[in-house]
Formats: sequence, C-alpha cells, structure tokens
Amino acid sequence: MKHCPTCQRTFDDEKVFCGSDGTRLISDAPAAPPYDYQSSQPAPTPAPQYTEAPPPQQHAEPPRAATPAHAGPLERIRCEWCQAMNEGTALSCRACGAPLDIKNLVSESGWREAPRIKDMTEIHFGMSTCQVEGEIVPVAEINLGPGDAVFFEHHVMLWKDDRTPMSVMPIQGGIKRALAGMPFIISVAQGPGRIAFSRDATGELVVMPLHPGVELDVREHAFLLASHHISYSYVRIKGLRNILFGGQGMFMDRFVTGGEPGLLLLHGYGNVFERYLQAGESIMVEPGAFLYKDASVTMNVETQKLTSGFFGGTGMNLARMTGPGRVGIQSMYVHHHTD
Amino acid sequence: MTYNQAAQHGGPARTHTCPWCGLVTDGTSLNCPACGASIDVGSIVTDSGWTELPGRRDMAKLQFGNSFCQIEGTYVPVADFNLAQGDGVYFAHHVLLWKDPQVDVTAMSLKGAWKRLFAGLPLIMTQAVGPGHVAFSQDSAGEVIALPLQPGQAVDVREHIFMVATLNITYDWFSTGVWFNTRNGDETETHYPLGQFMDRFFAPQTPGLLLLHAAGNVFVRQIPAGHTILVKPTALLFKDPSVQMQLHFEHPAGARSSWRSWGERYLWLRLFGPGRVAVQSAYAHLHDNGRNITRHSNATRQQW
Repeated sequence: MKHCPTCQRTFDDEKVFCGSDGTRLISDAPAAPPYDYQSSQPAPTPAPQYTEAPPPQQHAEPPRAATPAHAGPLERIRCEWCQAMNEGTALSCRACGAPLDIKNLVSESGWREAPRIKDMTEIHFGMSTCQVEGEIVPVAEINLGPGDAVFFEHHVMLWKDDRTPMSVMPIQGGIKRALAGMPFIISVAQGPGRIAFSRDATGELVVMPLHPGVELDVREHAFLLASHHISYSYVRIKGLRNILFGGQGMFMDRFVTGGEPGLLLLHGYGNVFERYLQAGESIMVEPGAFLYKDASVTMNVETQKLTSGFFGGTGMNLARMTGPGRVGIQSMYVHHHTD
Repeated sequence: MTYNQAAQHGGPARTHTCPWCGLVTDGTSLNCPACGASIDVGSIVTDSGWTELPGRRDMAKLQFGNSFCQIEGTYVPVADFNLAQGDGVYFAHHVLLWKDPQVDVTAMSLKGAWKRLFAGLPLIMTQAVGPGHVAFSQDSAGEVIALPLQPGQAVDVREHIFMVATLNITYDWFSTGVWFNTRNGDETETHYPLGQFMDRFFAPQTPGLLLLHAAGNVFVRQIPAGHTILVKPTALLFKDPSVQMQLHFEHPAGARSSWRSWGERYLWLRLFGPGRVAVQSAYAHLHDNGRNITRHSNATRQQW
C-alpha cells in the first residue's frame, strides 16, 4: 500500500500520484534509511506526514539546503509556502507553484513574501492542472479533468473552451449579498475542458492549497477561483465600526475544507505578504490592505483621532488583527476615507 | 557601478561609490546601505542621457541613524521601518500599511492649512516614533525611490509623490507658479498642470532619508547650466531647487483651433538646468479642455 503525505489517503501500490491533490505517493513498506550526507551515517527515517504551516522563521534557508536529501525514489523537497512534499527533481511545487530553488523571503519584521510564481508554472489538483501565465497581471489557466470543477465570480473569466460546461452554484442569502455589493451568482465550470481567469490590476496570484479542516476568511472580491472540494460561504462582519470603517463592506468570503484538500487562488493587488500571529499577538493593519486570514484570527477596527487645531483633523482607522493564525496583506490597496 | 581598486602594499583598498546617492562604501555588502541600490549591477543610461533608477534587490536594507528600512516586494514595494528608540518618520496618513501596536502615531501640524485644503493637499502630516515597526506603501505599481539627503541638501517633489521622511528632514511647500486660464463664456477656469504647490524637503544639519513612490519606472538626468528639456508635467517626480520651470505650448502643423482637446496643442513643462530632474514612466493623463487660453504664467510657444 501507499499513502499520500498531504491528505493521508491510501492507494494501491501501482499508483504513483495522489488522485486528490497530485502529491507523489509514499510506500508504506519499510524503506532503506536515507543517506545522511552530513555524517555519512544512516539517518532516521523521516515520518512522511502532513504538517500545518509553521510560523515563518527569519532568515530561512533555501528549501534544498534546509531539507535533507533522501536517496532513491523517496527524495523529496518540502515547499516552504504550502508544506507539500515534492519530487527531488522538481523546480516548483506541484501543489502551489512556488519555486523550490529560491529561498523563502522573510522580512525582519516577520512577514514572508508570497512566492513569485515563475511564468508557465504548472500546479496540480485532483485530476486537473493550473498553469500560471504572465507575471505582471498573471493568468490562471485551468485544464479541468473529468469530474473536477472550479467556482468563481463570473467577471474574472478571461477565456474558455466553448465545450467547457458551465453552471451556477446555489448560494444562500442572495438578497443580502446583492444589497451588500457581493456577487449574486457564483459560477461553476466543470471538466473536462479549459478555462482561464485573471483580474484587472498588477498583482500576484496567491495559490493556497487548503488542507482538510481549514477555514480561511478572504476579503470580498479577492478570490479568483476555488476547486469544488472547497465549500464556500460568507460571514457577516460584526460590529458597526468594522462594517463602516473596515474597508471591505458587510461580508467576508469564507472557504472551508472538509475531509478533502482543495485549491484556492486569490489575486492580491501589488505584492502579497503573510505573517503568522501567535495566540494573543496583535498587529495593526490598514483595513484596505487586508487580504485573508485564518478564521481563528480576530479583526477589530480601531479609530485614532488626528487633530489639527482649528480644522478639527481627521480619523485614522486601523484593523487590529489578533492571533493565533495567518494574516495576509496586499501592498496596493484602496485607502478608505474616514473623515 | 565601479570599483576603485588601489593596489597598495599592506592590503588592497577596495571602495565602491554608489552612482545613485554617492555614498562610498567598502563594497562588501550587496546593496548600498543608504539608498538600497544593488552594487553589482551596472548603471543603465539611455542613449539620450537618462539614468534608470538602479536595481534594488527584494528585502534590501537601508540604514539611517540607529534605525533600518527594509524595502519588500517589487510590484508595489513596501517600506518597512524598524525604528530605534528616539528615531522617527513622518508621512501622509493614507500611506500607512501596518504598524506594531506600541508604535505611537501623532499628528504633525502644518502651516497654511487653508491653502493646502483648497489645493487638495493633505492637511495633516502624521509622525511615528520608535521603538517599533511601521510600514508604508502607495496604491500604484511602481518603484520606491530612496533619496538620502546630505546636510544642506534640498529637493523639490511634485505633490502626492512623497511617501515618508525621517524627522531630521524639514518639510515645506511652495507655489509652483505654473498655471494658465481658459475661458468658457463668462466662466474662467484656472489650471495647474503641475499642481498648485510642490513639496520641498531639506536636511539642515544631519543627513536624512526621504522615500518617494513613483508609478512605473523612474529615470533621472542631470541638466547642465543653460540647457533645457521638455517633460510632461504629470511625469515630473522631483528636481533640484536650482532647476527652474515654466510652461511650453506647442501647436503641431496642420492642427486647427476648433479641434480643441483632440490635439490642437500640447502642454509641456520646460525645465532649465543646472540640476537633477527625475520623471516616472506611468503618469496621469493631463486633461486639456482645449479652450482659448486667456492668461498664463511664464511660457514659451512653438507653432509648427
């Protein structure tokens, strides 16, 4: 038997890749201990298991150097962005497209930059692939396999094969969403067929393979597409101040994975940075720059009055994000007037 | 970029002079510590004499006082300041991206609030004092320009280009003196192609760091004394105070005044040397209604 190190599903011995997320399968039969290049002594067998993304480490070493190389068919490289395991010869991560030969860029203040996905990088999910084309305003071109599907807001569609079936996802609270300026209709494209997506401004594609049991909140209109294994809902932003001054309206998109992993693609304006907040740790963020967060991260808008004598001054609103969990921001944002 | 290697006995003296800011270092770091320019990349100069803003590595670090600034990202770069105790920066509050909760942000009052209000300039400049992290970014794809100012050095910056400056740099503003009036019936409209005011930054006693954000790419050139060049008014980023400005109207051959805004005339900004000027490649379109110009500031005219 073999199992997938990402989703832990088991497969027959003749299978090579996971049918759900495309990760190379690992045999459950005991393998020869890998060769340790440092000590020239047999090293303990690494336990191939799924791990949650750890907090970013400053001055992270290049993945190839940080991950010990293993001998034979078990040689793998761990992607620092999504933690998926990849073949030793891979140049980019199969699950998220992050280059594996470039070190993780982490600022001194702890923000790690979203990986710059190389032009024409291919990402695998289920029986489908996604090719990222272009770098200034990237295009996500999906080659849907039979039985696979992606959902999206229809205005991000760039082109499609005329035979790619399309449908509409039934969502609840349509009137509320329409009043809140959110998309009333979520479209679904089903495989087999090709379809491509892009947004309308310079930025980066943020590829987020969601492992089972993840809940991610995303700024409205920031999501480009998601695979059908991900369930989509929305959460109402609580608190009048958060709605009025939070810079993102009344709702946030929420993406939840159940028992199976999924692929979520966001488009961030400008550059995208992510930071892991420890439990109780806070950071103040311009509300318009917020891109995504783990559902465990709380967000509350706080106002600071800046006075200028006779003219009364103005107010400055910043969102206090409190951990634990990930927070993603974009560097190009709409500043929301407060006065 | 050039290395000056003097073969001397008792150890080679290897120095590097940054062509962007002029700082002399030992050339052992990857970036100029004052402006972040990569030191192993050659200066790129066009055939016409414009120097492109030197390449900057992602996560390049600049130092000022006891503090650091890290430039992160390449499309819309973020200036992430690590302020030491007592060091501070000021900025227009809408460029603030994030900050540590303990970093105190206060208002810095400005003179001439009425005029600034009518000119559409920010009424309040905001300042943040260390210790702690605070980060800034603008809202368009482009480049962050690091301008280290030496004592006694000043620079004039077009409005809304300024991002952040250290507290030892003084901030002032002045009227551009570049305008023209058009008339439509009884209605007179005044136009300021460059904006009504320009910012002036000056380092009186100690060196300071000024960060600007330009849309698109940035090009700089030195205009010799007595020379002149025409640029689009909204493309101007900054200039030395010694560079003088005035309007230039150009009428292409065969154009008719009835064409109005379809191309009857071109509006230019004429810059006179000596001094340094910088332009950005992505600039706002300057709308000209094409109506008759009744009055204008000093200007030259060319009818082809």
